[in-house]
Formats: sequence, structure tokens, C-alpha cells
Amino acid sequence: MLSIKDLKAGVEESQILKGINLEVKPGEVHAIMGPNGSGKSTLSSVIAGREDYEVKGGSISFEGDDILELDPEERAHKGIFLSFQYPIEIPGVSVSNFIKTSLNESRKAQGLEPMPAGDLLKMMREKMELFEIKKGYLSRSLNQGFSGGEKKRNEIFQMAMLEPKLAILDETDSGLDIDALRIVANGVNKLRSDDNATIVITHYQRLLDYIIPDFVHVLYDGRIVKSGTKELAHELEEKGYDWIIKEADQC
Amino acid sequence: MTEEDKILEEVTAAEYKYGFTTDIESDKIPKGLNEDVIRIISQKKNEPEWLLEYRLKAFRSWEKMEEPDWANINYEKPNYQDIIYYAAPKQKKKLESLDDLDPEMKKTFDKLGISLDEQKRLAGVAVDFVMDSVSVATSFKDNLADLGIIFCSISEAVQEHPELVKKYIGTVVPTSDNFFSALNSAVFTDGSFCYIPKGVKCPMELSTYFRINEAGTGQFERTLLIADKGSYVSYLEGCTAPMRDENQLHAAVVELIAMDDAEIKYSTVQNWYPGDAEGKGGVFNFVTKRGICHDRAKISWTQVETGSAVTWKYPSCILKGDDSIGEFYSVAVTNNYQQADTGTKMIHLGKNSKSTIISKGICAGKSEGSYRGLVKIMKGAENARNFSQCDSLLMGDKCGSHTFPYIEVKNKSAKVEHEATTSKIGEDQIFYCNQRGIGTEEAIALIVNGYCKDVLNQLPMEFAVEAQKLLAISLEGSVG
Amino acid sequence: MDYQRGGPVLKEQLIQVFKDSAKNGLPFKAVREKYIQQFDTDGFPTVKDEEWKYTNLLPLTKKDYAFENTDGIINKEQLEEFILNDTDSYYLVFVNGVLSKELSTITEGAFVVGSLKHNNRQDILEKYWNSCLPQKTDTLVAINNALAQEGAFVYVSKNVVVDKPVQVIYASSNVQQDLFLQTRALIVLEENAQVQITERHQNFDDSFVFTNAVTEIVADANAIVDFYKIQNNTLNCSLIDNTWVKQAKTSNCTIDTFSFGGKFTRNNLNFCLTGEHAESNMNGITLIGKDQLVDHHTFVDHAVPNCNSNELYKGIFDANAKGIFNGKVMVRPDAQKTNAFQANNNLLMTDNASIDTKPQLEIYADDVACSHGCTIGQLDENALFYLRSRGIAKKEAQAMLMYAFANDVLENIKIPELKNKLNRIIAKKLGVQLDIEL
Repeated sequence: MLSIKDLKAGVEESQILKGINLEVKPGEVHAIMGPNGSGKSTLSSVIAGREDYEVKGGSISFEGDDILELDPEERAHKGIFLSFQYPIEIPGVSVSNFIKTSLNESRKAQGLEPMPAGDLLKMMREKMELFEIKKGYLSRSLNQGFSGGEKKRNEIFQMAMLEPKLAILDETDSGLDIDALRIVANGVNKLRSDDNATIVITHYQRLLDYIIPDFVHVLYDGRIVKSGTKELAHELEEKGYDWIIKEADQC
Repeated sequence: MTEEDKILEEVTAAEYKYGFTTDIESDKIPKGLNEDVIRIISQKKNEPEWLLEYRLKAFRSWEKMEEPDWANINYEKPNYQDIIYYAAPKQKKKLESLDDLDPEMKKTFDKLGISLDEQKRLAGVAVDFVMDSVSVATSFKDNLADLGIIFCSISEAVQEHPELVKKYIGTVVPTSDNFFSALNSAVFTDGSFCYIPKGVKCPMELSTYFRINEAGTGQFERTLLIADKGSYVSYLEGCTAPMRDENQLHAAVVELIAMDDAEIKYSTVQNWYPGDAEGKGGVFNFVTKRGICHDRAKISWTQVETGSAVTWKYPSCILKGDDSIGEFYSVAVTNNYQQADTGTKMIHLGKNSKSTIISKGICAGKSEGSYRGLVKIMKGAENARNFSQCDSLLMGDKCGSHTFPYIEVKNKSAKVEHEATTSKIGEDQIFYCNQRGIGTEEAIALIVNGYCKDVLNQLPMEFAVEAQKLLAISLEGSVG
Repeated sequence: MDYQRGGPVLKEQLIQVFKDSAKNGLPFKAVREKYIQQFDTDGFPTVKDEEWKYTNLLPLTKKDYAFENTDGIINKEQLEEFILNDTDSYYLVFVNGVLSKELSTITEGAFVVGSLKHNNRQDILEKYWNSCLPQKTDTLVAINNALAQEGAFVYVSKNVVVDKPVQVIYASSNVQQDLFLQTRALIVLEENAQVQITERHQNFDDSFVFTNAVTEIVADANAIVDFYKIQNNTLNCSLIDNTWVKQAKTSNCTIDTFSFGGKFTRNNLNFCLTGEHAESNMNGITLIGKDQLVDHHTFVDHAVPNCNSNELYKGIFDANAKGIFNGKVMVRPDAQKTNAFQANNNLLMTDNASIDTKPQLEIYADDVACSHGCTIGQLDENALFYLRSRGIAKKEAQAMLMYAFANDVLENIKIPELKNKLNRIIAKKLGVQLDIEL
């Protein structure tokens, strides 16, 4: 589904990603872990097409197509969803209006008619239930005045509405209390299927107790320095990152 | 979950969609302005002597005045002798009902999207339609008459309710108030008149559509709206003009009188032709709007200004009465070479008078937008309150946005707060929308509509929808 | 002298003074000619001029003035009340516009603390004179340009940090006839230089003195200037203070204006940011009462990208005091990434006091963050009640709140003794004995 080969990217002179290789197949959950500053958020931004980062080498293909030349919205239309670490506030634009616009733009790109208002409303209600979102929330301004937890929950709610093929959850666990974490994780698990894939980017192992990954990768200094299964995450939790960093530096 | 998104989708053509002319024979007088022209206008309209005198007095003071140049706008001053001051669509006979309307004109209505038919009746909007200088149709009049509400063209009011017109005209905007109001007082040809009797809550929105059609004409409409004690009315005003290369002049005067405990909500969606992308043509919109609030009365101005080459407009409130309230909600969008200098004046005379100003300016292209406002708390205005929020959003680095608030306070118990910000649309906001599959143009329309929400929310539903469309159209292609 | 003829008469007199003194005074004769001609053409501004809409000059221009006075005598003891005594400083003292060599500490070396007339650096004078002013200036600046002969001169060469503050005092004394003075100052900081300056106009008797001052401050790359204006003159003195600052890249200039005294005070403070990453700060406290007027006009010209400007003015107006604030921020095309912040907060203590304020933004670049806020109000009744319920008398409680209102302006003062002195002046103005070391 997603195939990243020797990806190098950075901002101006500085190189942040120094050759990333990653294969994600449908139905898989990959966790990307790593200490602060290792390039985790850069990776997610580059996949989503943020123009602040310059790709200096390598390739990203999604379902066989090279996506590096595509605009962010075109990547979204293909089914790539990024849950932002810091969701953006847009004053005056309601959650419902935003989701509706977003959903229908994607449908338009796929040559579909806009979703009838009744269906949309029904779908929203279902998903709201899934994430235990209160009524009245839909008419609030997007992310404005939301608590950290609400913002994250809103991201996952949008994900549920848009039903992406590939979801990238960038530090979705940061700022969540344990109850919110459980709700978000349950939602993510319910959305899992054999057709879609998830990349969970996190600093801590905690989220991975709820969203069980098939693979765990450790990102350090712009490279994936170790890959393994969920046991690797536990190991990291116990021993910290230092031993991996030492290992990596020795190489 | 409203119509909002559909509207944005509907918007596909950036071209000025109201830019058609209607091929209707019209009755007009030669160009130029002098006392004789005024006499002709007055005569054509079969006006009483006092009104002719009123006009002549205004004309004489206008002659002595100079066109103001303090506003932050640049334009070639019109040659006032090169304008046709009276152009009336020629009609075969007086209309008995809307069905008798000239078919061409009816098409005009349809193109404007205002149907003067059942649809509208269901929606409960009474419409007065002013084309060039003359009011051509007023719907729903009889239903209103049952409540004692008078809603007609001002020409008609002069004939049928001269005592009301005589009593109130010029009381809020004196003939000598400013250059453009003096000109209007001298030559106004039509406009709307409305009187809401004591204690009556007008059950439907009253609406006037203004349209300049004839080439080389000026439009000088006059609106007089009187809300008697304890009454309520919501009034809507829409403006369009065809695309023409030359500049057309629009110099209107609107006077509102809110008696004790009355409330007037006055909404405008102004979409006069803004000129083309090179700044050629477009309407000069020089408008004087002012209302007076007596005890516990409230006047609320809401405006969405997307059109005109040049806008010079300051809807104001004189808060004369104790506990009176004035509000001003404005969205002004400028693109290409448009210039807008707009804002409000809140003059606090009464005790406990309150005013709120929310102004949202959006500048794109090579346009210039200015907020100019005055909040004046007079000595006797105990416990007066004002809150002003003036925000500007910039798109592109060729436009200019300016804020000129004047605040004058002469009473210690006053509380005045003014805030202003200038910023651009955040790149991170656009990226966020992009990531959710929303293209950049749509993202901007979405963000701008959100930014203007506090103002758009003040508009009656039907107008809000139209205003959102206009915002999107006005800004299309503004970000490369 | 009759009211109507006031302005024109003073104008003629000033032009005559120019003719009489043309051969004396400072160099730059051609420039001075140009300015006297401008004044001759324009005359004094009136309330019809937008910039003078709320401030009427007529009462000042209808008087019959003397234009010089060499009889002034001030001794050291007299000065003590008005200077910072415990802060080791350089002094520049002018009496009726004339340098007092006894009271001044003239210094020449890596830096110069001297007067415009008495210094050996005419080269610097010629290089920077009028360099901060725009082509077309305000009439009052034109008058000063034509007539000023003397004033403070501070020059700090590259990489030099002036080791102690410079205190500049423009004193007046022994004045028989109303006196109209033109004072002038030039402050030049070369690259990476630093200086702190305090400035004060002080009258020592009951006469009427009207001062029209122009100060130019040139801050080259990375220079730091802190300039404090203490305006606490006697109630029959008037001041028009024109300050022009020109800043090069990464320079930092702070100008604080404390207006307590004087009958009529007009401050025209202008910043021009000509190099990137420069920062301008301007703060003010205005605390005035009976028959006083203070008018602050500030103008910040962001001509290049990536600069910051911060402006905070607080005003408290008692009795029939009149306050005017006119703050303008201009962001020119291409001055992207400008951050400009402006706030003006006012308290009106009586119904006879008034405030006219006009904060303006003129913006021609899109990637900017500019804001202004302006409030006019009263002391918070709840806070007042809270303090009184804790046993603090009403007057003291009010003073405490007013002090708190103005305090954030004082916080950034870098000379401790000045801060204390201003605290004492404020307490005195508020009429309370408060140990306001909050």
C-alpha cells in the first residue's frame, strides 16, 4: 500500500530524514517510535505533503503511484489521512461544516455526488457515538477552545468520517488522559480492517497497549535503526532508548 | 449543517454574475444638474411645493460644498454635470399587480434571483424594487396595510403620506450634512419608505433591491424608515448593477428613526459592479446612512460589502435616548483594484447607551480597505458602553489594510474597548484543510466565511446565504 | 495682543529672529533657510490639520515671547531635587538654552557627552544632522531646524558602552518675559554601541516657558539605546517634544515618556526601522490633572521586514485634564514578518476630563501580525471594594489601583533610582503616602 524508499528530506540546509525505508501493507498497523527530534513528525508531514519540507531523495508510492508530486489535498483524496499532533484552529468554521466540505471534496475527486444531508447526519451520529462525543459539539468552531483531548478526539472523529485507507496518527496519545486514550484507541481499533492500514507515531509505549501494532520501528537521527514486533515496544518501555541509540551509533 | 457548503460548490464562475443590462425603454432627462433639472424631477414626480423647496435648498448648499477627500480612497471625481439625474423605466401604465410587470423587467428579477412571486411570499419577504431611479414594484403591500404598516416607494409616500415624509425627512441626515447627502437631497428620485405603527412587530422581512441599469445614470435613492414606539422591523437591502466600462455614481441617503422601545434591523448586501480585474469601470458608492435611537430603542446595521469600485460609507447611530443600543456588523471585501473606506459612528448622548462594532475587512489583489470609525461619548452619557473589534485579513502582498478608529470620551463613567488585529490567512490552516482533501480555493472560502461568521450570523437566513456566495465569488483567484 | 493676530505675529517675530541670528548658531545655513521658508509658507498648524485635530496651539502662539535669555543661573543644590543623585552619571545642563559648563560633565574620548556648540566632532554633526528627519517635516520641527542653536550631543563610537547614564537637564530660571526656546539634541550610536539617557525640562521660577524640542537618535547596527523622558515641569510651562529615531539592523531602542507636569505637552515620537530585526519599544505613563493637556503622537514606520515594535501607553486623567493619543503603525510593502503591537489604556477620574484616542494601523504587507487595543474606563469597583474591605482607605485604595494600572510601564526601567523616583512622583501626584514597592 505505502512504500517508502530511501527517503531523504529536510528544511533548507538541514537534513532531517536521512534515508527512510518502510513498507506498509493493507491490514497492518505499524508503530513508529523514537526519541524527540528523531524525525517522526517530519516523516508524517512529508507523507501528507507539507510544502515546508523539501524532499531531497528517495520515493514514496501509495498503491503503486508515486505521490511526491501530488498536492496535499490530492493525497487526501487518495485516502491518506494525517491526524495532526497539533490540530489547527479555524475560527467560525463549524466541525460539521468542515467535515461535510472535506468529505464531499473527496467524493467529488472520486467522481461521486455529494453525500445527501440525511445520510451524512446519520453517519455523523453513528461515529459520534463511537467516540462518545457529546451533542452540540458539531456546531462548535473547529478546534477553537477545544481542550487537548477534545482536539485529538476530533481528529479521530474526522478519520472515522473520511474512512481513509492509510491513517497516520501523529502523537495522538499526547495530551490524552487515560479515559480519552481508551476511547480513541477503541475507535481506531473498530475502524481497522483488512483493507486499511495505520501508522501510529508515538513517543511512549502506552498507546500500543490499546492499539496493538504488527510492527514497531525505532526512528533515530532520520533513520529507522531497528524494527521488530510489539515486544520491541515493551523493551523500549523498560530500557528506554539509550541502548538502541548506542547500538545505532556503533554501526 | 446548513446550505453553506452547497453554496460554495455552486460558486464556479468568478465573473460578476449580475452584470447584465435589461433592455427596457426608459424615460430620462438630459445630463447635467441645475435648478431647472431639479424642478423637472420634482414636476415629473408631481411633488408638493415644500419638497421642491427642500430639494432646492439642498442643491444650493451642495453648490457651496466641496467633495470630501479625507477618506483613504483615490478616484477620479465624477463630473456632476455629465450625469443623468433621472431615468425611469418606461411603463405602459400604472401596475395593478405584479403580473402586469414588463416581461423584460420580470426577467431582470429572475436573474437577480429575487422572485417577486409566491416563493417569496412563502418566505415572507416583502420586496420593493428600485431600478435606476424609480421604484417599480412593491409586493405584499396589502397584507402589510392590514397591520397599519406602510411600505412603498418614497414617491408614493410623498403623494399618499406627505405628513409623515415631511415630518421626518432630513431630520437624521440634514441636507447640508455632507457633499453626497446634499446632492442626494437635491436630486433623489426614488427609494423606499416604511412606517411601522406603535407596538407593531412587522411579521416579515421588508426588502428593497436596488439596481442601476441605464448607462450614464446616477442612482440617488432615498430611504426613510420610521419605527414608532415599541415596534420592530427587519429591513433588507440588496444592490446590483450591470458591468459597464465607465464609473457609475450611487449616492444614497438612508434615515432610520427608532422611537422609544422600537427596534430596527437594517441589513445590506452590497454588490454593485466592482469594475473589472484591471480596475476599469465599477460603481462609486457614496452613501450616507444614519439612524437615531430614542429611549430604549435599538438600531442594528449589518452590511456585507463586496461590490463597488469605491465605497465610502459609514452607517451610524445617534444614541440619543437613555438605554438605547446601536450595533454595527460589517464585512467588507475588496479585490483587484477596489477601494473601500467604511465604518461607523456611534454617538452616545443617552445614559446607559450601548454600542457594539464588529468589523471584518478582507483585502486581496491590489485593493485597499480601510476601517474608519468614531465612538463619541458625550458628557451626559452616563455609563455608556462601547465595544469595538476591527479585524483585517490580508491576502497577497499588493493590497493594503488600514484602521482609523477615533475615540472621544468626555464622561468618566464610560467604558470603551477597542481591539484591532491584522493578519493573513494562516498557511497551517490551509494545509490542515488540504490534508482533509479540501483544495486551496475552497479552503480560503471556508476560512473567510468562518472569519466573518459573527457578522454573517446577524443577517436573515436568506441574505446570509447570498452573502456567503458573494464572499466566495469576490475572492476567487485571489491567492495564487 | 489680540487673539486672532497671535499666530501671525509670532510667525513674523520668529522669521525676524532667524534673520538676526542667521550668521550665528549652527552650520547648515542652507538647510536652515529651507526650513524657515517652509515655516513662512505653512504657518502654525490649526485644529483643521488632522494631526492637530484635538490639540489647539493658539493659546501658545498668541503670546508675546522673548527668544533668548542669558540671565539664567542655577546652582548645584537647586538641581538636586530634579536629578538622580545616587546614580553615578554624566550631566549635561542647559540653562535657558545655554550650556552650563560648571554643572555639566563634558566628556570627549571613545564617546562624546557634550553640547552641539561645544564639541570637537563637527564631522559627526555634519554626517548625522537632520538624517532622521523626513523630507517634509511638521511646522514645529521646521522652526526648530531653522532656529535651534544648542542642545545635547551624545556620540558613542563603535563597540563602546557608555559606562554610566547621561542625564540631560534643560533648565530655565530668572525669566522676565515669557520665553520661547528651541532646543535640539543629537544622539548617535555607532555599531554595537550602548547608552542610557534621561531627559528633563525644568523651570525654576514662576515664569512661562514654551520649549520646542527636536531630538534625533541614530542607532546603527546592533546598538542599544534607552531614553527616558521625565516630563514633570511646573504648571506654566509648555513643551512640544519632537523625537525622531532611525534604527539600523538588530538595533534596539526604547523610549519611555513619563508625563506628569507641564500645562501643555505634545510629544511627537517617530521611529523609522531601516534594518531587519530591529526592535522599537515605546512606553508612556500620563498622569495629569487640572488644566493640563498631554498629547502623544507616535509613528512607527516599518520599512523593512522582520522588525518588532511594541507600544504601551497608560493614561490617568483627573479634574479637567485632556488627553490625546494618536498612535500610528505603518507597515510598508515588503516589510513582511512585521510584528507590531500597540496598546493604549486610559482611566478617566472625573466627568470634566476627556480623552481622544486614535490608534491607527496602515498596512501594506500581508505576512504580518499587527494589533492594537485601546480601552477607556474606570477603576474596577470590585477591586476597590475588596481593598477597602481589607481596611485600606478609599483614597489609598484608589491610588493603589491606579499605581497598579500604570505599573507594567515602570517595570522595564533599567535605572533603579529612576524607577524609585518615578514611584515617588506618582505617589505624590496621587496625593498619597504610600510605600509603593508593590
